[in-house]
Amino acid sequence: MNGDSNREAMLEQVALYALGLLPREEAALVIAFIANDDEAYAEYRDLSSTADALALSADEPVDSARTARMKERLMARVRADAPARGTLATRSIAPARGWLLGAGLLAAALIFSLITVGQNLSLRGDLTTAQRRASTLQSQLAQSERSGARTRNDLTQTLTDLVSPDARRYDVAEGTVIVRSNRVYFALSKLPALPRGHVYQAWTAAKGSSAMQPSLTFTPNPDGVAVVQLPVDADKVGVVAVSVEPDGGSKTPTTTPTFVRPLS
Amino acid sequence: MERVSARDDAAFEALYDAYHRLVFGIGLRMLGDPALAEDVTQTVFLKLWTAPQAFRGGSFVAWVSRVTRNCALDVLRSRAARPESEIPADLALDGALEDEIFVRLDAQRLRDALSTLPTEQRSLIEQGFFAGVTHTELARRTDTPLGTVKTRIRSGLHRLRLALGEQVSG
Repeated sequence: MNGDSNREAMLEQVALYALGLLPREEAALVIAFIANDDEAYAEYRDLSSTADALALSADEPVDSARTARMKERLMARVRADAPARGTLATRSIAPARGWLLGAGLLAAALIFSLITVGQNLSLRGDLTTAQRRASTLQSQLAQSERSGARTRNDLTQTLTDLVSPDARRYDVAEGTVIVRSNRVYFALSKLPALPRGHVYQAWTAAKGSSAMQPSLTFTPNPDGVAVVQLPVDADKVGVVAVSVEPDGGSKTPTTTPTFVRPLS
Repeated sequence: MERVSARDDAAFEALYDAYHRLVFGIGLRMLGDPALAEDVTQTVFLKLWTAPQAFRGGSFVAWVSRVTRNCALDVLRSRAARPESEIPADLALDGALEDEIFVRLDAQRLRDALSTLPTEQRSLIEQGFFAGVTHTELARRTDTPLGTVKTRIRSGLHRLRLALGEQVSG
């Protein structure tokens, strides 16, 4: 798949998100894409209002007995709850794009966590958790930008790979190993907390070999989540693994692996 | 909504009178059960009353529709173990046409605009909007390749947007 078709695929995902058809982990990825891409933002803006209009097709007469019954139930609750009138509640209206970017940060944090606890940001969001995740991500992104390790194109590539229907997915207890083309990702969401002075380290074994080669080290966020791309050629890797190692990593595993997963 | 925020029950009653058909209708289309749709209607309006600050501006119709779809989706989720779709959060987007569209749009105009879409696009969009399923489930239910589902939905939404624009300006 070339760059243009990747973009088209992601824009199709935007349309699906606007209509409410994506599972939450894919929705989180798309929000991040929207927040980082002006064209995607414009596409979402146009299509979400169009999708919202579809609700009007459900606006049909309700029989009067049902209407009266529903209203009676509701107003009884409301009147019992209504205080003396005249106290204006305060409300704030957040700048729209700022919210979206905030949601994008959160969503991108979700990418790095590929979470299983996605939430409806509008009604059920846990703001404290959201802010913590966004903060974690900002820190991660800042590190990546400083090191030049991750650009916008990299992010788009990652998003495309992670949601692609042609990606191969290998379940592990802590999440999923995802392989697309020659790239390998860990999308882990249930990593136990690390002992002080330790990191997680990835390991790979070449096809036909049982010798584990050291790969990168990583630290999950406070929720035990991390998404990392291994610096390997997937075509040459037969097994991947993760273990807990001292800061700085090890040359050979020193603890029982957290998981070992053959890519077959 | 400002009066509702000020705990004005008369304003809330007026809001109910204006929008209960829409809320009940969405619940009924998604759940197919009038009793459950009633429960969803009750839940949505109670949320409106207890947390009016959740509405942060923009089109009220769009917002209350999303809240209703989420409530109905919760019911669907509690019914069956299957992949869950995610209704977009209540974004108030810069420059979106939603205000001008919604002010001048009604159910009939929406239906007229929908009728201009090819059947295969309209069917997927309507089912997708009201079924509360993921795109893969939608592809399975309609026996349509996933790639085709994606393309038709995106093309159909663009086409519907154009048709809505013509409806409200015509």
